[in-house]
Amino acid sequence: MSYFARYLTRRIVSAVLLIFIVMTLNFFIIHSAPGDPVTIMTGIEQPSKEIVETLKKKYGLDEPVFVQYVKYITNLFKGDLGYSYVYDQSSWSLIKERVFPTLILTLSGSILAFIIGVFLAIFVSHLKTKFGDTIVSIISYILYATPSFWLGLIMILVFSSKLSWFPTSGMYNLRETYTGFKKILDFLHHLTLPVLTLMLIQMPVFYRVTRASIIQNYKEDYVTTLTAIGVPKRKLFRKYIVKNSIIPPLTIFGITLGFSITGAALIEIVFAWPGMGRLMLDAIFRRDYQLLLGIYFLMAIFISVAMILTDIVIAFIDPRIRLT
Amino acid sequence: MRKFGDFVRRYFTNPYGVVGFAIFVTLLCFAIFAFYISPYKPNALSEDVLSPPSYKHPFGTDHLGRDIFSRVVYGTRVSLSVGFVAAGISALLGIFIGAFSGYYGGIVDEIVSKIIDSFLMIPIFFLILIIVAIFGSNLFYIMLVIGLTTWPSNARIMRAQTLSLKERGLVKIAKSIGESNIRILFSHIIPNGMYPVVANSALQMGGAILTEAALSFLGLGDPNVTSWGKMINEARTYMSFAWWTIVFPGIFTILAVVAFSFIGDGLQHTLYPKLSGVESE
Repeated sequence: MSYFARYLTRRIVSAVLLIFIVMTLNFFIIHSAPGDPVTIMTGIEQPSKEIVETLKKKYGLDEPVFVQYVKYITNLFKGDLGYSYVYDQSSWSLIKERVFPTLILTLSGSILAFIIGVFLAIFVSHLKTKFGDTIVSIISYILYATPSFWLGLIMILVFSSKLSWFPTSGMYNLRETYTGFKKILDFLHHLTLPVLTLMLIQMPVFYRVTRASIIQNYKEDYVTTLTAIGVPKRKLFRKYIVKNSIIPPLTIFGITLGFSITGAALIEIVFAWPGMGRLMLDAIFRRDYQLLLGIYFLMAIFISVAMILTDIVIAFIDPRIRLT
Repeated sequence: MRKFGDFVRRYFTNPYGVVGFAIFVTLLCFAIFAFYISPYKPNALSEDVLSPPSYKHPFGTDHLGRDIFSRVVYGTRVSLSVGFVAAGISALLGIFIGAFSGYYGGIVDEIVSKIIDSFLMIPIFFLILIIVAIFGSNLFYIMLVIGLTTWPSNARIMRAQTLSLKERGLVKIAKSIGESNIRILFSHIIPNGMYPVVANSALQMGGAILTEAALSFLGLGDPNVTSWGKMINEARTYMSFAWWTIVFPGIFTILAVVAFSFIGDGLQHTLYPKLSGVESE
């Protein structure tokens, strides 16, 4: 297990590094913005003297940029996500109730996309007809090219406005106060369209990677060997090809979470889903950079944790990674 | 030159490549001849407010009576130029950074590789959002920012290419006869190794078009141009009783991005005929 421990440590170190780089970039972007950094950081046109004083003390704004940078990073790693002077609240208190809606939307959308994408690829390659492969491939190309916000709007247009099957926006029906099981049903009813949209946007990536990996696997030596010793084709496919082909899409699962959280943010805006994406957009329009940086930091952590978790899952499935 | 002819012929044996190229040429004609193709001026107001598709207005009109077909045609200009300029900047940066880092190696290479790896994991779109929000949203800025944030995937490809070319006889001979490093880089490594970057650039053009559409949809696009994302944003309010306002700009966005995906995959098939049927990432 010591190999694995070392492997995990390496992953965690690179995750911390990633967060570090993201926040460094953000820091320097804000600092290279035209205008006075204090005004920009607060997001208010004319910040009061107290705010200016506090900020100057906190980040040492009269000191050299490097010192400011060190102070900024230390504050972050102490868990201080900043203070929103626009809302006059700490960033964390604004963000914390938004974490769950974003997490559930992103994760359920991505996991569904993974399952369906992988399943479709396996199914199509099992059919072994050129026609099926072409149709599904073209659909995957089209979905890959579809802007998530547009697909969300079309979903609303078709399933909410025309068919009235699903609500157009929000997370709960505000006119009713459901409790218990009914509340969960209401929540799922609101969740369906956003998750469906995110799933459709994400699915092509998993489909294409799995498809490529199945084709690649058929060219491997072990297939030749197993065919030669008379393993039936069905068994070969089910037992070996499928199992081996799942690893590449799983590997990209962690990487695509960054992409999927972007799609989720746009989808949240379309469906008025009360998640971090919407809060982020509000922060951008109100120039609330402290809040924005807090959201970024949290998203970076979220992506890193998700990547480490996928790595652990892969390590358990694929002994080659765990043991070398 | 014969090699190039072969390359073109091989590219056009791939059906995806052919379809992608055909859509691309059509859109390019739309962009260049927008003035002749569009029946109205993109911002010309009229009495027919929110009128459905008809002979007079093939794609209908929007809430200000503007002809949607004309606006979509003019929007092609914005999307294609964003695709070309952004992906062009990204390709140039990626090729130079990747080639230098792979060729010289050492500590610089280590740092560059780490930066590339991290960049590939960051949700780039948010980075672009914050930059556009702070520095303002003019179309050239948006192209520049997309280019400056998407080069790492090109750099990674170019670096790998450089590492393999460095060991080939061609480069070793050039070195032994005393050619300078810079000369080797620019006359041997970059010209021989850049083709996969070109294929990747086609995919990045599609990505840049989607990014610009998303920015415009959020209201952070250039206010002075007619773009598909902006049209979708404006149509949100009216879509439930005027589907044509939202459907057509979306379909054109998809067409443009699909065309570039097809071209990118076609190029990849042409470059790596052995892998046909297998996309590398």
